[in-house]
Amino acid sequence: MKKLSFVEVVDMLNKFWVKQGCFIVAPLDTEVGAGTFHPATFFKSLGRDKWRAAYIQPSRRPTDGRYADNPLRLQSYYQYQVLVKPSPRDIKKIYLESLRALGIDLKAHEVRFVEDDWESPTLGASGLGWEVWLDSLEITQFTYFQQIGGKELDLVSCEITYGLERICMFIQNRFNVFDLEWQPGLTYGDIHEQHEIEYSKYNFDEANIDMHLKMFEAFEKEAAALLGKGLIYPAYSFVLKASHTFNLLDARGAVSQSERPRYIGRIRSLAKRCAELYLEKK
Amino acid sequence: MEHRDFLLEINVEELPAGYVRDAAASMKTAFRRGLDSFHVGFNGRILDFGTKNSLVCYIENLPLKQEEVSQEILGPPKRIAFDEKGNPTKQAVGFAKNQGVKTEDLKVRQTPKGEYVVIEKKEKARDTKDILREMTPGIIKGIRFPKTMKWDDSGLRFARPIESVLALFGNEDVDIKIDSVPQKKIRPVAPAKYLKTLGKLIDWDVRKKEIKGLILGVVKGLRADHGVDENLLDEVTFMVTSPDVFAGEFDKKFLDLPGDVLRASMAKHQRVFPVSRNGKLINKFIAVLDGRRNKKLVRKVYENILEAKLKDSLFFFDEDTKRPLSENIFQLKDLIFQKDLGNMFEKIERLKALCGFICDKVGERPLKKDSERAAELSKADLVTHMVGEFPSLQGVMGGEYALKSGENKTVAQAVREHYLPQGMDDPLPETRAGAILALMDKIDNVVGFSGMGAEKISGSFDPFGIRRNALGFVRIVKDKGFRFDCEDLIHKAIELYRDKLNVPGNLKDKVVDYLKDRIEFLMGDVRPLELKRAVWESGCFDICDIFNRIRALASIKDKTYFLEAAKVVERTGNILKGAKKEKIGAVDERLFKEDPERSVWKAYLDSKDKIQGLIDEEQYKDATGEYARAFYRVVHDFFDKVLVNVEDRALRLNRLAIMKAINTLYTERVADLALLPQIVVK
Repeated sequence: MKKLSFVEVVDMLNKFWVKQGCFIVAPLDTEVGAGTFHPATFFKSLGRDKWRAAYIQPSRRPTDGRYADNPLRLQSYYQYQVLVKPSPRDIKKIYLESLRALGIDLKAHEVRFVEDDWESPTLGASGLGWEVWLDSLEITQFTYFQQIGGKELDLVSCEITYGLERICMFIQNRFNVFDLEWQPGLTYGDIHEQHEIEYSKYNFDEANIDMHLKMFEAFEKEAAALLGKGLIYPAYSFVLKASHTFNLLDARGAVSQSERPRYIGRIRSLAKRCAELYLEKK
Repeated sequence: MEHRDFLLEINVEELPAGYVRDAAASMKTAFRRGLDSFHVGFNGRILDFGTKNSLVCYIENLPLKQEEVSQEILGPPKRIAFDEKGNPTKQAVGFAKNQGVKTEDLKVRQTPKGEYVVIEKKEKARDTKDILREMTPGIIKGIRFPKTMKWDDSGLRFARPIESVLALFGNEDVDIKIDSVPQKKIRPVAPAKYLKTLGKLIDWDVRKKEIKGLILGVVKGLRADHGVDENLLDEVTFMVTSPDVFAGEFDKKFLDLPGDVLRASMAKHQRVFPVSRNGKLINKFIAVLDGRRNKKLVRKVYENILEAKLKDSLFFFDEDTKRPLSENIFQLKDLIFQKDLGNMFEKIERLKALCGFICDKVGERPLKKDSERAAELSKADLVTHMVGEFPSLQGVMGGEYALKSGENKTVAQAVREHYLPQGMDDPLPETRAGAILALMDKIDNVVGFSGMGAEKISGSFDPFGIRRNALGFVRIVKDKGFRFDCEDLIHKAIELYRDKLNVPGNLKDKVVDYLKDRIEFLMGDVRPLELKRAVWESGCFDICDIFNRIRALASIKDKTYFLEAAKVVERTGNILKGAKKEKIGAVDERLFKEDPERSVWKAYLDSKDKIQGLIDEEQYKDATGEYARAFYRVVHDFFDKVLVNVEDRALRLNRLAIMKAINTLYTERVADLALLPQIVVK
């Protein structure tokens, strides 16, 4: 197996999915928890228009920070997101083909599709599918969307979310994420280690709770106001900001168990209205 | 007659492991019903098989055609259809013509309404193949799954996308049309031959055995012992189709983690099996692979991933043990127990009060302090990182962390085992403190969930696990031999919920019924069937006593003295039944008029203390024998010679009072045997 660098893996995936008719979209410039939050997935999976897109999406999950001490967990990392709508009959085969394109020997190694019914309570989104395991390493989330923004979908999209670090670990045979080769002469750790340590401290210990509580309220209010003016994209970006602010408060231990569902409900109802307005405007 | 086999194969993208068995079974049932309703008689078996990627149904020995079914069609009455000479009338000819038969074929049949003209119409027997073709799509669509999905525009729903279907009947394929699903293209072969090509591992029992054998082989090679986790084995059976195994290793430092954490991590993240030697985990694991792989390469990945996951568990463990477990208690105010039933902090307050209450009742005062402390700590692990990651470790982690926090062993063990038993095969709490806390947790659940005014449980509908909790409660009481009146405890549990419950009026009865229902379930078949009800009618609700009593009485059901005792209860009961409105007081010996009155009362005075003594000692067989010996003859004699329902009110009430004394001596504390059917003394 040729040891592709991180950058080469992304490059190969771009090439592969372009051949499958995907547009390569630029990543979203707002902090998000996953590629699903990108308008190229959230909005585009609504309605009956065909759509195929692929993109890398830097993602943040504050509670997953481990001060750069865990070889597998990070509070910020990269997803490679593919959305294919409608889902073609042979999408699973195409996906396996993409792994072969990365040089993974599917005869020597075992790929396993393990039940995982995906759900994003903040986006009012859910789907059925699997975690894909490569020799027990979870490398992809594979989902047939059933609902987005609380709407039962007219046309089922297939979402394929590659965990880029995991795939690189496998390909490069290095099981510490910080040792991965980003590009010859540069490691993942060179770019991210200090970042992980500092952000873990920030997320767990330093983030200003009062400020974030106020920010959450402000973002929520702004999103609602913008929805009132029919400005879907700006409104949606404030929904995302509110969502990330909530995640930070959660990592900081500032959200009690009983308040959690309420916060999530507030974000979801805004996300739902964004989805409704998007469909109305079309 | 010529017979053929039928095979249906549904190829599907990876099904959730827990779905396959039930889905295949429901398909089997649907075929059996379908074939019956189409009158396709067959004497072979219906077999079901399945893997993560296929559901297979195999039906042996089907006839080529359904049975001929004839149908009678009723025409006009005979008097209208034929004239006096017996010739068919215009009406008869018209009826025959409409039905497409000749007038000669008309028959006359006696019906409840009189004589009518009928014709017998034989329906043409249809080809079994056509019937199979017709009913199979409906059967496939009708397979029930816990969750289903759409994957294309056809609207078809299934657990995962169907890739193709294949149906074979004899050597021919059957054309199955089901929305957008393609048919698997093969050269048609006999179903038996095709089944052979699927391999013996298509049978999940065979596959499971194979995997278990492979694992045990590796275990032997490692000189280890092993209790293969059956649940995990079951799951893995539906994750691989052609199993292979290998052993891997991890750093010994992770053995510092509690064994339950290691097990949970291995099962959840990688579905690998832990290995132990002399009952202690060692730094090895066994993985089951699908198909022949390069084990050397695969193993390395597994080992690295396991260590990364265990490292994360260590992180959780360190975070959780930074402060004593008791510091989590306050956070429980933020944790909802159940929407209408308040938070977890309120729950542990109730548990604490209940533990204190029951320790007094069952004579476990020395355990009072420990069980109350265990109650306080019982839910504190719910807000730890580890239980957040592995919810199945609730209780277990509480016990671990309690020990780490310097709590005593009794307290820690009680916290650890208070969720037991979860299922029918689960072990019960070992310690008495654990059993007490487990009982209080369960009764609080049953009372709370029953008191929310939620829908009544029925059949398999029991969303809050009321039945499971009630069963656990009964099993523990019986196992530990705790003696107390359940009604007192239920009353206390209801009281502790204060104003949170919606149906306080009849709630106690409802809870009592749930417990009784589980006792009956545990006792199984007891003869005579009415015996359980007879026991419910009497005595206090002490679970152990109830088990003893029902067992004792059932064991003497054919003895003459049992039947005699039953007869006494029946006869005295009958006379009292007719006197429900009367105000029966105490027996007044001055009112005795006849000898049998005196002798029956003497019998009562002579035997009362002895019988009550035997009942106090729960010697129910002897008490019944003594009761029969004391009363059978004299009560008979009394009824033969003395009229109870006389005009004189004082005399009547006095005689009823004697009967009542004799009746209740037995029925209030043993069983109301009058409820048994037809008591005949041989």
